[in-house]
Amino acid sequence: MSLKSLLTAAALQGVAEARARIFGHVLNPTGKRSPHKILRKKLIGDKVAQWYPYDIKNDDPLVLAREEKQRLAKLEMLKRRGKGAPKKGQGKRAFSDAGIVAH
Amino acid sequence: MSEKRNILDHKRRLLANKYELRRKLYKAFSKDSDLPYEMRDKHRYKLSMLPRNSAFSRVRNRCISTGRPRSVVQLFRISRIVFRGLASRGPLMGIKKSSW
Repeated sequence: MSLKSLLTAAALQGVAEARARIFGHVLNPTGKRSPHKILRKKLIGDKVAQWYPYDIKNDDPLVLAREEKQRLAKLEMLKRRGKGAPKKGQGKRAFSDAGIVAH
Repeated sequence: MSEKRNILDHKRRLLANKYELRRKLYKAFSKDSDLPYEMRDKHRYKLSMLPRNSAFSRVRNRCISTGRPRSVVQLFRISRIVFRGLASRGPLMGIKKSSW
C-alpha cells in the first residue's frame, strides 16, 4: 500500500513537472512568495502611453501662431477693461485675512 | 480645464512608460525572498525614489474629446455623453442604436 502511494506521488510529481515544462509555468508547490508573479506580466507602458491621439494641429506653425495671437488679444482686451490678472503679490489674498489664516 | 487635465495625464502616461521596466525590476527584487535582506531593502528604497507620477495607478482614463474622468467608454476612449451623440449620428463603425 505504501509502495503504491509512493509510486503515485512520484508519478504525479513527474506529471506536474512535465506539464510545467510544456506550458512554461513555474512550479511553486510550497506557495512561497516569489517575484515571478510580477515579472511574468506583460509590459503595458507603450499601450498606456498611446491613449491620447496626437494632435496634427501642433505640426502647423500657422495655426499655433494664430492661437497665440488670439490668446494675447484676449488678455489685452481684459486688461483694458480692468479685468486682467493682478501682478504678483497684488491679488485678492494679499489684502484679506484669508491668505494669512490659510497658512 | 479639461484640456489641462488631459495634458497632465498624458505626461503621467509618458513617465509611466519610461519607468515601467525599472519599476517592475525594483518591485520584483524587493519581493524576492531568496535575496539577502539588505539587497531587498535597497531595491525597496530605489522603488520609493522613483517619480511619483510614474506609477500606473496615477494614470486615469479620460475622455479624449471632453476630458471627463468618469464613465469613459474604453473601446472608443470617449465619455458616455460624447459616445451617445456620436453613436446616434452614426460615425462610429458597428454601433447602432436600437430599441425593443
